[in-house]
Amino acid sequence: MWQAIVRVLEHLSSAENPLWFYYPLCAVVAVVYKATKFDDPKKIALAALHFFVTVSLGMLALAVVLTILSVWF
Amino acid sequence: MTPRQARDLSPVAALVLGWILPGAGHAYGGRWGKAVLFFVLITGLLVTGMVLGGGTVILPQRLWFAAQLGAGGPAIALVPVAQYLSTLAPIDWADRLHEMGTLYSAVAGFLNLLVMMDAYIRLAYPHETGEEGA
Repeated sequence: MWQAIVRVLEHLSSAENPLWFYYPLCAVVAVVYKATKFDDPKKIALAALHFFVTVSLGMLALAVVLTILSVWF
Repeated sequence: MTPRQARDLSPVAALVLGWILPGAGHAYGGRWGKAVLFFVLITGLLVTGMVLGGGTVILPQRLWFAAQLGAGGPAIALVPVAQYLSTLAPIDWADRLHEMGTLYSAVAGFLNLLVMMDAYIRLAYPHETGEEGA
């Protein structure tokens, strides 16, 4: 199982992986969404960073969970 | 920058302007900083999507166009470009970059809908957004 997870993480971190394009997309979504919530630029930046990190880590965690499920079943 | 008096402005006009040009609804309300931010990010996302997809991602015959149309003026302006480029070479619909470009342009449309609603709400309900007399 750990080998499968390591393989997924290696694939996610490889330069050819098109999933890299999700990060700029996620960053733009974070900034635009938080800019509609706050007026202060500093608050927008901090909230957008928090949103970006949360979504990115959430997607990574989801990938790991799906990998574990695919190995077990 | 001080926003103009909310009661003098039409929320519907902000909504329509925001559709014609991303960020224009906020510019109408006097929020030029946010207007520039939204214009750069949303139009940039749309154009980046076009470039990633080889210029053929915004085609009216695809269902994705319903989402891309949310970006309003820039999306409509790019339709003839996409139609022309799609006649030059066959499109590889399964190409990952083409899919990513389509996703970028569709998300740009959805984000502009959010921005349009924000521009509308700030003028329609100034009490709740702290806009009154600002």
